[in-house]
Amino acid sequence: MRRGVVSLVVGLMTVAGAARAEGLSFPVLVPLTGFLSLEGTSQRNGALLALKEAPAGLIGAAETIDTGTSPEAAVTALERAAGGGPVGAVAASMLGTQMLAMLPLAAELKVPLVTVSGTAAITEQNNPWVFRFFPGDAVTKTAHARYVVEELKKSRPAVIYQTTAYGQSGKTHLDSAFRALNVTPVFQEGVDPTAKDLLPVLTRALATNPDVLVLHLHAGPTALLLKQAATSGLSIPVVAGSAMHQPSTAALLDPAELKGVCAETAASPVSGGSPAVGAFTASYRAAFGKEPDAFALGQYDGMMMVLAAVKAGAKTAEDVRKALSVGRHDGLAMRYASDGKGNMAHSAVIVCYDGKSRIPTLAKRYDNVTGVVK
Amino acid sequence: MVTAVQLLVNGLALGAAYALVALGFVLVLNATSAVNFAQGDLVMAGGLLAVALAPLLPSVLPVPGLLLLPLVLVLMAGLGLLLALVAYLPLRRRPPVSVFISTIAVGIILQNGAAVLFGPEPRVAPPLLGDGVARVAGVAVPEQSLAIMAVAALLIGTQHLVFSHTQLGRRLRATAQDPEMARACGVPVTRMILLTFAIGAACAGAAGLLLANRYFMTPTAGGDLILKAYIAVTVGGWGSVPGAVVGALLIALFEVGVSWLLSQPVAQGALYGVLLVILALRPQGLFGEAVRRRA
Repeated sequence: MRRGVVSLVVGLMTVAGAARAEGLSFPVLVPLTGFLSLEGTSQRNGALLALKEAPAGLIGAAETIDTGTSPEAAVTALERAAGGGPVGAVAASMLGTQMLAMLPLAAELKVPLVTVSGTAAITEQNNPWVFRFFPGDAVTKTAHARYVVEELKKSRPAVIYQTTAYGQSGKTHLDSAFRALNVTPVFQEGVDPTAKDLLPVLTRALATNPDVLVLHLHAGPTALLLKQAATSGLSIPVVAGSAMHQPSTAALLDPAELKGVCAETAASPVSGGSPAVGAFTASYRAAFGKEPDAFALGQYDGMMMVLAAVKAGAKTAEDVRKALSVGRHDGLAMRYASDGKGNMAHSAVIVCYDGKSRIPTLAKRYDNVTGVVK
Repeated sequence: MVTAVQLLVNGLALGAAYALVALGFVLVLNATSAVNFAQGDLVMAGGLLAVALAPLLPSVLPVPGLLLLPLVLVLMAGLGLLLALVAYLPLRRRPPVSVFISTIAVGIILQNGAAVLFGPEPRVAPPLLGDGVARVAGVAVPEQSLAIMAVAALLIGTQHLVFSHTQLGRRLRATAQDPEMARACGVPVTRMILLTFAIGAACAGAAGLLLANRYFMTPTAGGDLILKAYIAVTVGGWGSVPGAVVGALLIALFEVGVSWLLSQPVAQGALYGVLLVILALRPQGLFGEAVRRRA
């Protein structure tokens, strides 16, 4: 696997010279270490795969810099990347605090930041240089709540969320989405990501007699809670957050422990859906030796839209920015278009596990949730 | 009632795992008067070592976790020796803060090394005996929870016997209490310190293997574990082995109990609140301080 990553990077660096001749490079600045390294690695892999599969003659330099988890490291990485010559666009960190730190510098340097960060605030800064290719909580949590209420016909959800910024944001949007559907959760409680035993919160939730369990947790806690729920013989359905769809999360559980579990996500490449998605998944496995997730696919789609703009004649970062701002792109996960603030993704899906396999099946698509895509 | 017993079982299993982490921590503390901040990362290394070794065992073997345990203990003991040789012995005559920093550095190296070798994903190790669930009077008791408690009791009991009833144990205790006097009496102090690091790391390895099945393991998991060990040792009595074990059990039962009664965030906050109260009212801890030089 590592050999695959190394050869991919070496391959991209080899063609970097040709890309310099074109005048544009495409640095990848993502968190590869720290608490967001799992998602950051997916992001990097998606970006590298797009650059590798870009149309001939368009491949730019793919310098990868680990931004860790500190805003300063991300800013330093952006300064370093911009110092190496003209940049077409940057595959930028999905960590919200890093994005917020990089945004003023990106505006100053006039470099588009292409990210899959879910932090709502990054597209609320009136900064025209940011483009998010992953649906925000306003989209995914609407789909999450609608599936619970409209498809499962449940009206007494118990919501368990993470106490992190990610969890709080999800909880806030779930509140709004359930309110819009005239449903009030019977239980809402946050848990710290370091909590080892989640049986207490599960017990407290079940004491309120819910008819569905709604989770918005990180990958490890999601698996931990589902394991303990299976041990306890939980009999109500579970609709989890996007962390559940990650193949590495499902790998922590026996297929039987996943029975009756669904999850919202932007996309689930391992579930297939089209020949193009199947080809992406196969290429990803071959290059990185692991299963792709929605973050990888979102970043891949984002970089492919950037490269399509270059192919269509964009010569500068400003050209790329304009193309992303006004254009549309039919990516593998969904159709992308900016809402004027840089939010490009407006669809979400619900996937469900059958209890026999760790590969979920697509249960429901929610397209154009925001009404932006015409 | 069933719920309370269920939570008690969960709390005891978690406490037993914490106890193994705290035990290794307090052993090194006693032998060197230095805090080994890498102990949590050694637990992580033990867990991921079990994850890495598991596929190497033939799939027909019925209890891979149990077979892995001695292997993990031996390899982790070797890592403990390496830790002592690299991060403790060269600095032993320097101020204690040098050792704190060097063990923090080793911990960070282990974290990043694990991230490079294993990737950032949470991993699961095989269960010690099986992953079934026994049901007793309505209480679900996972086999792994029983295994955690049994292994912790076995290792803690064995260590107690060795320290209390053998010449080796007397030498180790003499080294912990007064290294200079022990050396004057012919005890090979350096060798005893190396052995202590090896035992401490082996305990961490056992804890890692057990935790990685029930609670999963990531390269960054060590940070929270060392914090729990530190609190356990502070609550139990700085340097007290029984205190560390009891402290670890109390922490786990407190976490589970208050999470159930109030909420998990309240339990987290209350744990540190109680720690502050103990530090103010009984700074020597429940069992009194075995080590006078509090780090």
